[in-house]
Amino acid sequence: MTTGQVRESGDPSSAVGDMRFGDHLCLVYVNDAERRAVLAAFLDAGLRTGDALVYLVDDEPPEAAAERLRDRFGAALGDGRLIVAPTAGTDLGTVIESALARGHPGVRVTAEASPSLRGWPGTERFTAFEDAVHRAVDSGGRAMALCQYDRRWFVGDHLCEIDARHGGRARADAVFDDGVLTIVPLFAPPGLRLSGAIDESTLPALVTALRGVDPRAAHICLDLSRLDFCDLGGLRALIRANETSSVIGRQVILRSIPGCMDMMMRAAGWDTVPGIVAEAAP
Amino acid sequence: MNAPQGGAGGSALTGGPETGRDALVHRALLYGSRWELLLSAVAYLRAGRHAGETVVAIVRPPLSVELRERCGPETAIEFIDAAKWFGGPARALAALHDRARDDWWPKGSLRLLAEPVWDGRTPLETREWLRHECLLNVVFAGTPTTIMCAYDAAALPRHVLDGAARTHPELAGPDGTTASERFTDPARFYAECDAAPLPAPPETARRTVFAAGGLPSLRTVLTAEATRHGLPGDRALQFVLAVNEVATGIVRDGGGRGALRVWAADGELICDVTDPGRVLTVRYPGHLPPERQDGDVALWAVRRLCHIVEIRSGAWGTQVRMRVKLG
Repeated sequence: MTTGQVRESGDPSSAVGDMRFGDHLCLVYVNDAERRAVLAAFLDAGLRTGDALVYLVDDEPPEAAAERLRDRFGAALGDGRLIVAPTAGTDLGTVIESALARGHPGVRVTAEASPSLRGWPGTERFTAFEDAVHRAVDSGGRAMALCQYDRRWFVGDHLCEIDARHGGRARADAVFDDGVLTIVPLFAPPGLRLSGAIDESTLPALVTALRGVDPRAAHICLDLSRLDFCDLGGLRALIRANETSSVIGRQVILRSIPGCMDMMMRAAGWDTVPGIVAEAAP
Repeated sequence: MNAPQGGAGGSALTGGPETGRDALVHRALLYGSRWELLLSAVAYLRAGRHAGETVVAIVRPPLSVELRERCGPETAIEFIDAAKWFGGPARALAALHDRARDDWWPKGSLRLLAEPVWDGRTPLETREWLRHECLLNVVFAGTPTTIMCAYDAAALPRHVLDGAARTHPELAGPDGTTASERFTDPARFYAECDAAPLPAPPETARRTVFAAGGLPSLRTVLTAEATRHGLPGDRALQFVLAVNEVATGIVRDGGGRGALRVWAADGELICDVTDPGRVLTVRYPGHLPPERQDGDVALWAVRRLCHIVEIRSGAWGTQVRMRVKLG
């Protein structure tokens, strides 16, 4: 198995936008919002570079899956850049070869996981399928694959088996990363993970990202465990994150507040602001 | 947010404008002997209890022990150790304001006995603690607060006693309480504290300049200097937060670019940040609580993060000198 994925330290997943040919990753999604975000980034990147897109389904007719994709990828379905095919009876190696022969620089494969037909993780059928995907992607180095797994279906042993059959997990791309601050969307609970420093240079990006968090979400969670620095302006933006929504009584959960923020909140006298649930670092 | 909740109610309690007096009472007790101090302090605290006020004494342990004995254990007086409370002037001012707003004013009127600490103070610290006395008149104006500050008339140096007379509207002594004839308008007293220009930084000070986008590397320099001079981690973070905030003000609202000098002297890490492009016009910068309309939350926080912050401003620009203790 390939283990050469570049990963954020302490994070067992890598951004979908960093995927390269030869990669065979899994998308273990917690809800549809996460699935849509990661999958759309995967497919959009392929459309930008002219790659062929192959979408494998096995718990519904390909036509039904195509219908769901038509909203966003109608044009690609129409001109054959996006092919929806059943897992059963599709030889991935052949599909990839023919796409390359049509002149595409590469092929992006994504497969919907359905335990009922393809077998639960740990079974022979499951292993055979993933090994086939792996071989197809590994040979030639002009294809990559992203297998979708609904986190809610699987228990710990299943996840271990899924992880063992993939080069790693894919997560949503950062919505911002300038080397000073990295902002990654979170899906359950909805929110953002902020890594690095919030200061006058990165504050505008933070404000934009906060506006981009689902305005209908009852509460939002901001994971600050990797935040090294936050100035007063950043603190104000985080505290006021609940003002951008029309949700009455929305709470902003500040998870793992770093020492520097705690210090600044007390210095500014903001340690008793309503609507903020400040969780101390574990 | 507006003025603290207790404000308006307190004015009504202690007499409106028709009495010709603000709701705040700020009095210096100039005592000649220990006996006189105890007599006045006990009478003052008891009067507060009888009036149903919240009574707080920020005094040093010898006095707190004696006061507890004389006032009796049943009297609910909150004692706070003055040696710990009066650590830094801006922090003490902010802490007093926050405690009063959160804990004391909601219950009604506050009666405070304070025993300011003057021994072991540098000339700069003495000046800043007198400024603290001056600022009590501004920050607590219009609040239901009575403050009596105890001054040892027999032992304290003349300039401290002079300062007490100039920063307290009332003086209490053996002959009762009188208006202080030498009480000075707080704005004038405050300006006098800032009259002299700041001494030039040493030639050996680390110098750097900054502008928009340059604060990450500025923080790297500051952290390195804090480490080099042995500032412990938590206080290094406070120092970096404070300097970064002042630099942010220059980048965002000031001249856009500034210069920074950092050096260590006499047990302090000192950082000068200068903004050639802005004249500071706000009154009492960073000394007014942020919930006031004229309050500046950034400078308020900066003052709280440092031991002492000195600010000079003129046609040439603005200079902010931040000091943190190394030891």
